[in-house]
Amino acid sequence: MSSCGPFPSASIGGILVRFEDVSLRYGGGPEVLGGVSFLLAPGSFHFMTGASGAGKSSLLSMIYLARKPSNGRIHLFDRDVAGLTRLEAARMRRKIGVVFQDFRLLDHLTALENVALPLKISGQRDEKVRHHVAELLAWVGLAEHLDSYPPTLSGGQKQRVAIARAVVGRPNLLLADEPTGNVDDRMAVRLLYLFEELNKLGTTIVIATHNDSLVARFDHPVVRLADSGVRVDRPGRGRA
Amino acid sequence: MRLFGKKDVPLDGDASGRFLPWLVAIMVYLAALALISALTMSRAVGHWQEGLSGTLTIQVPQEQGGEKAGAALDRILKLLLTTPGVREAKVMEPDEIERLLQPWLGAAASLAELPVPALVSVTFNPAAEPDFGVLAREVAKISPEAVVDTHRAWLGKVRSLARSVQWVALLVVALITGSAILIVTFATRMGLSVHGPVIQLLHLIGAHDSYIASQFQAHVLTFALRGGIAGLLLAIATVFAAGQTLKGNEALLLPDVALRPLDWTVLLLLPVAVTLVATLTARVTVLRTLARMP
Ligand SMILES: Nc1ncnc2c1ncn2[C@@H]1O[C@H](COP(=O)(O)OP(=O)(O)OP(=O)(O)O)[C@@H](O)[C@H]1O
Ligand SMILES: [Mg+2]
Repeated sequence: MSSCGPFPSASIGGILVRFEDVSLRYGGGPEVLGGVSFLLAPGSFHFMTGASGAGKSSLLSMIYLARKPSNGRIHLFDRDVAGLTRLEAARMRRKIGVVFQDFRLLDHLTALENVALPLKISGQRDEKVRHHVAELLAWVGLAEHLDSYPPTLSGGQKQRVAIARAVVGRPNLLLADEPTGNVDDRMAVRLLYLFEELNKLGTTIVIATHNDSLVARFDHPVVRLADSGVRVDRPGRGRA
Repeated sequence: MRLFGKKDVPLDGDASGRFLPWLVAIMVYLAALALISALTMSRAVGHWQEGLSGTLTIQVPQEQGGEKAGAALDRILKLLLTTPGVREAKVMEPDEIERLLQPWLGAAASLAELPVPALVSVTFNPAAEPDFGVLAREVAKISPEAVVDTHRAWLGKVRSLARSVQWVALLVVALITGSAILIVTFATRMGLSVHGPVIQLLHLIGAHDSYIASQFQAHVLTFALRGGIAGLLLAIATVFAAGQTLKGNEALLLPDVALRPLDWTVLLLLPVAVTLVATLTARVTVLRTLARMP
């Protein structure tokens, strides 16, 4: 059910994410995703849309290795993820930044500490990064909240901390699940510019969103999840 | 505040942080007392053995059928001086015996009123000791009721007692080590399940199992060290108090229980060992549990 055209970037620059006939079901339940195939080229920027419950978060969770597909193959960074050891999976995850739909901030750490966490995990313990982390938080409008704890932040503020944490390590791949769901339109556009900036630096980006006006405003291909399967629409082509 | 100072897994607020130091303190306290008893005991045996080797005592009842022991004593002394290996043999003076017995009998007792036997103290060359069987038989010919005491039976009993104390101490230490491992395993599993979501998040942003294990190790390290030192201090205080109580009670014939350098080394190693065991247990538990996760 691949609809990514003639697999355009397979020869140039390799493939960052490849789904081959992937299906997923939770426990003994019905198939949430069935026969999904698509490719993401390095340096690409995709939106992902689909009705609520269509399986966007589920699909992303397979890319960031939180879930294994019930069927089919997934290749990441030119490796079949089924064969990864725990250590290899951990190393691969460090190359992936994720903005979770439910943020998943650590409540006992301040905004600053939450954002610094990926750096700490990848072994950067130089206190000099504080400046860099604070700057990033200021950029997403949280200069006043560096030392705030997540439970004291608004939904939109938490979301921005989550975004800062996902991008702070300059990942090769950024997966953002509804990253602008809790902020106003102006902030949403600002955050999208942040992602574009990152994309220009080489990060491959996938943004799951319900915000059609945002999708329309930025000219990027759209991965559409529907009952009929997955379709990738290139900009300029007709949109469903 | 430092950016990387805090633990990512908030273990410090856990109940385990509050009760585990106490448990460790109690365990180290018991282990320390067991070890001190074993060490003191083996030193006491060595002390006695040293004091008694190369000596024996012959007791000659004061009166034998109305006959004064004097004549028998002279013959025994003569016998001893011709026995190969014997260096010296002398009859102990009554006031010397009195001094030895005073702690047991009290100052009021007068030897004259008591049927205290005459004592011959014999020193011999430990390298070429006389044949005690032959000696005893010869002495018996002179004075059938005389007793040749080589202290061997007594020392043997004391030595086997000391050995039992050492085995019990070893058993106590082994049991305590076992319980420490069980307790830390249990507490670590609890921590893993209580903080499941945090650990999952750490995994998702690229933390490896050993990174998470190190968080638990740091937690266990602090409480084990704290509890271990507290337990050790309590044990030392107890030994000191016991030493004060026993002092002036020479009747127990115990050498002083003051700690020697070796004892100090063993004792100071105890909290270190407990911390090491606890930390290692935490690491193994975390790694094993996480490896079983999908
Ligand atoms: N952990 C889970 N266990 C069982 N079923 C699940 C689980 N997570 C998701 N589902 C089911 O899988 C389907 C897809 O869910 P998913 O969260 O991927 O949708 P989504 O496209 O992200 O929706 P939304 O736009 O509302 O975020 C839903 O029907 C949901 O009920
Ligand atoms: Mg979702």
